[in-house]
Amino acid sequence: MKSREQGFGNREQKTEIRDQDADRIKQLLKRAIPRMGDDAELDRDLWPAMLQRIDHENVRRGARIPWFDWALAGGLVAFAAIVPRTIPVILYYL
Amino acid sequence: MAGTLVPTLVLPLLLVAFIILRLGMQIAFPIERGLVFPMALVPGLWGLWNMLWEWSHEHTHLPVGIHGAILPLLLMPAGATVGTYLGILALGAQGVTWFQDVYVPYAWIAPCFLAALAGYYLAWKYIVGYVNRMLGIA
Repeated sequence: MKSREQGFGNREQKTEIRDQDADRIKQLLKRAIPRMGDDAELDRDLWPAMLQRIDHENVRRGARIPWFDWALAGGLVAFAAIVPRTIPVILYYL
Repeated sequence: MAGTLVPTLVLPLLLVAFIILRLGMQIAFPIERGLVFPMALVPGLWGLWNMLWEWSHEHTHLPVGIHGAILPLLLMPAGATVGTYLGILALGAQGVTWFQDVYVPYAWIAPCFLAALAGYYLAWKYIVGYVNRMLGIA
């Protein structure tokens, strides 16, 4: 009887410690993660800046593709046309 | 993320090919086993390779295209090993048989490898490099 009471006591103690640990972790997480607040929106729209960057990059890239790269791309297309059976093998590596 | 973009774009094509070949045309290729490498390993390896480029670029100053063209040197033996274990690649006396149907003579391995190098060079230079710049990584 006495040992059963002791067992219950140990279990309650363990549950209390676990609850304390959970509370402590909750507090630590709350402190580490900043509060979003009511106004979670950005103060400016990022998309126009992204579009501008894409436009700038397209102009820059289109102006200078070296002949060597064109030749490589042409060679690749020619290779796939000559040996079409290798296409699944090449796709296997992509 | 930029590194994983290209294989991720290719994945839907592979899935479409799988559906057409297996469900539409009822072809008995071991396609499912063939998809393990491109679907599970290649995207991750591309991403890791791009992370490695970002990490090493300051010291090596290697262009992203050249860095990407080195990747087939690792991928080809890895893919062949995985393919052999999964039973989709059989090594023969005169050549290799992929997917129990596509026979590639050994003489064609070197041109295939060069084509892979060229493809990887272009993909890394123009797609991965572009996305890296767009994301402000490079």
